[in-house]
Amino acid sequence: MYKIILAFRYLFRKRISYLAFLAVALCVFIVVVVMTVMTGLVTDFKQKNHSFVGDCVIGTESLVGFAYYEDFMKILERADFIEGVSAVIKSYALISPGGTERSIGVEIMGIEPVRHSQVTGFGKTLHYRRDDVSKAFEPIYDPNLAGCVVGIDLWLTRDVKGEYAYGAAPAKTSLTVSCFPLTAKGALAKAGTGMVNTKTFYYSDTSHSGLARVDSSLVYLPFEQAQLLCGMAGPDKRVNAIHIKFKPNVGLENGCKKVALLWQRFAEEKGGEKKAGLLEKVTVQSWKDYRRAFIAPMEKEQTMMIAMFVLVGVTTVFIIFVVFYMIISHKSKDIGILKSIGVSSVNIIELFAGFAFLMGLLGSCLGLFAGWLFLLKMNRIENWLFEHFKFQLWDRTIYAIGDIPNAVDLKVLTGIMLSAIVTCLVGALIPSWQAARLKPVETLQVSQL
Amino acid sequence: MLKLFLWLRYLRKKKIVFLSIAAVALSSALLIIVSSLFTGFINAFEQSAVEAVGDVVLVPPVRFAEYPLLIERLEQTGAVEAATAMLSGQGLLHLGGGNVRAVNVWGIEPARRVRVTGFKQFLLKQKKSAQKPSFEVPGFADRVGGFVGIGVVAKPNEKTDEYDFDSAETIIGKQVILTTGAVMETEAGGEKKFKRKTLKFTVLDIVFTGVYEFDKKFIYLPIEQLQEVLYPNEDGLIASQIQIKLADGVRASDGLAQIRDVWQRFAAKRLGWGPYLIKQTTITTAKQLQSQYVAEFRKQMGILLLIFGVISCSVVLLVFCIFYMIVETRQRDIAIIKSCGGASSSVASVFVGFGACIGIIGSGFGAILGCIVTKNINTIEEWVRIIFGLKLWKSSVYMFSKIPSQIDWASALSIVLLAVIAAISGALIPAIIAVRTKPVDILRYE
Repeated sequence: MYKIILAFRYLFRKRISYLAFLAVALCVFIVVVVMTVMTGLVTDFKQKNHSFVGDCVIGTESLVGFAYYEDFMKILERADFIEGVSAVIKSYALISPGGTERSIGVEIMGIEPVRHSQVTGFGKTLHYRRDDVSKAFEPIYDPNLAGCVVGIDLWLTRDVKGEYAYGAAPAKTSLTVSCFPLTAKGALAKAGTGMVNTKTFYYSDTSHSGLARVDSSLVYLPFEQAQLLCGMAGPDKRVNAIHIKFKPNVGLENGCKKVALLWQRFAEEKGGEKKAGLLEKVTVQSWKDYRRAFIAPMEKEQTMMIAMFVLVGVTTVFIIFVVFYMIISHKSKDIGILKSIGVSSVNIIELFAGFAFLMGLLGSCLGLFAGWLFLLKMNRIENWLFEHFKFQLWDRTIYAIGDIPNAVDLKVLTGIMLSAIVTCLVGALIPSWQAARLKPVETLQVSQL
Repeated sequence: MLKLFLWLRYLRKKKIVFLSIAAVALSSALLIIVSSLFTGFINAFEQSAVEAVGDVVLVPPVRFAEYPLLIERLEQTGAVEAATAMLSGQGLLHLGGGNVRAVNVWGIEPARRVRVTGFKQFLLKQKKSAQKPSFEVPGFADRVGGFVGIGVVAKPNEKTDEYDFDSAETIIGKQVILTTGAVMETEAGGEKKFKRKTLKFTVLDIVFTGVYEFDKKFIYLPIEQLQEVLYPNEDGLIASQIQIKLADGVRASDGLAQIRDVWQRFAAKRLGWGPYLIKQTTITTAKQLQSQYVAEFRKQMGILLLIFGVISCSVVLLVFCIFYMIVETRQRDIAIIKSCGGASSSVASVFVGFGACIGIIGSGFGAILGCIVTKNINTIEEWVRIIFGLKLWKSSVYMFSKIPSQIDWASALSIVLLAVIAAISGALIPAIIAVRTKPVDILRYE
């Protein structure tokens, strides 16, 4: 009991304690705000990638693709852990919007919109056909025309608030799409003629996935058309990837393992077929592995930021150390009295550890509260700053970021709080040890009183 | 003298003072590193544009003819050292074996280009040659030669983020096919349609600029051959932009004014363009082209420095705590000074001066540490990769293959000054407490 009383007494009676308390609160406040924003960005980015890809991808990096995909899709559809599968054609193309002299190199994805929307968040990325994905490739102005869905940043520009100026309906615009048809051996299908496949599509909708690289370089085409353009149609049809969505209760790792096993068996069964060689380069990856190249840099930045905060946190350890050192110097008589009535050295350490814990707890609580309050108002503050001073945290015409993420993550908060408490305990360690080593006979000498 | 004696004594006797020195050093080092790396990145970003397109770029709204004449006129002005034409397009490059890449195609004049940009030093093979870069294919006068960015033919190593130059160079001498196209009138006349075009060329060299986007997406072809493919019906030479190097000592604003003047006369008289098209022409410095991004980077640097700056304010608290403790434990010293006739200002200056010393020593160490880390940041990053297997810097993410490691002396100096001010601020209240100490209270016998 006396430990609690003394810890509270030191905290509230010693004004110097307030400084340490404030230092802890300040650090916690900054870390909470920065880490919440950072975590929000990373989480949001991951979610968008997950939504773009689905749970699992069976695919090959080669543009040649792989054959017998229809047989394997049947196997997948029969599996009890799979909710949906979607075959995808991926390649590069040159597009030229009608009425302009521009030609742009883009990535194309051939998909069946309904199937793909069951597996990924494709349907939700559309603007005009969001409610009826089956018509994604049917331009509103003329449903008989072959439509295409264009990555939004290829088509529209963001305003200063990061919003796009959609028209009431898509404007009738043609897009000439030229692709390389490749043979199963990777050679140009029309090498002798030096020709490529070209077809005109009409703009039917935009896709806004929220992933800048995707939205600025991807054009979705109807599956069969893309297959024809890329030379993947014919007797042994080919695709570049199969995207899979697992049923809700299936874990990602577990699901991917099962798919990999199914694929392994399938590839072995098809070993004797004419185009079995193409199956060798096919890999089964979870969405996280498939998009690792994009996700990893953001995670690294988060790690680097944490490392920087750890460095800065060292200063807080110093402050706690100095404050405790001072308190212990002043309270040597208290310690002497406590030891003289039989309190052990361990109990003295516990007393100051408790004090440090209390300081860390209360300081981090104040910091967390201030951080939470600031996060809650952050978007409003940014809007106000933009209205009055034209200041934005991120220029929305450059970055594909909407509101500043301010959803507080309990895990992050707990981590920060624990770190603050540990910092206080580390800072108090040496002074507590010194206090424990004080001898009552020295501190309670008449000359010292 | 007395002050110096006391400062040295406190430094020697009060080991805790070293904590404040360490904290000041740590905070200043961190801020110097952050500002130097950011500034280095911004400078490299601006410089990459200058090295790629020269000092000034002239971009008309549509392609134009007779560019050699324009270049001649530009070079006649004292402001322009050299100028070169460029014709741009986009295409798909088939490298064989199902390997197709979307690329930006630049039709260039290699011999002129080296006078405007640092293009020659980027060519892996021809940079060693004493002659100017050329698209001539040795032994095959009828073949078209071209240069490709290293990222078009190779991928940086996943772990080291370095290209395998030997493997990339194996493509030199091979023929690849470029598919591109242009909008042109149909044979029936009237309606304009996009026509695809293919061009077979021999890879003569690999371009490695160290800027990821340029290395990954760009290929370079002779401007005349690209024109033949894209615009076969055009008479005379055409270009889509002119890239210019200003003469030494010419201010950008003066250079821009002279170039604009030459262009306006050329466009009106030789091309017969109206005021609208002339006005639509962009004549800007390479740095201005990047200004929106640079402003954004600077803003982000400011925010990051603010965050670390606010946290570094705890240094003030630390110095305050330590000085408060010194004042408390050294009251007898203070009382003796005062009893010997020392003025309050002298007492205050002992502590304020000591605070300044802490700030100077701490920020000095911080500056040294910051400089060492910044200068060796690439080595440190490499060691982090070797020890932890974590590749922090990737050219695909941060554009450049190496971390820019210049020290931003202006920021470093400001940070050092702020650190000294912070340390003095921390010492201020303890100094006031010291001033208010009464010798009679402290030096009483009992």
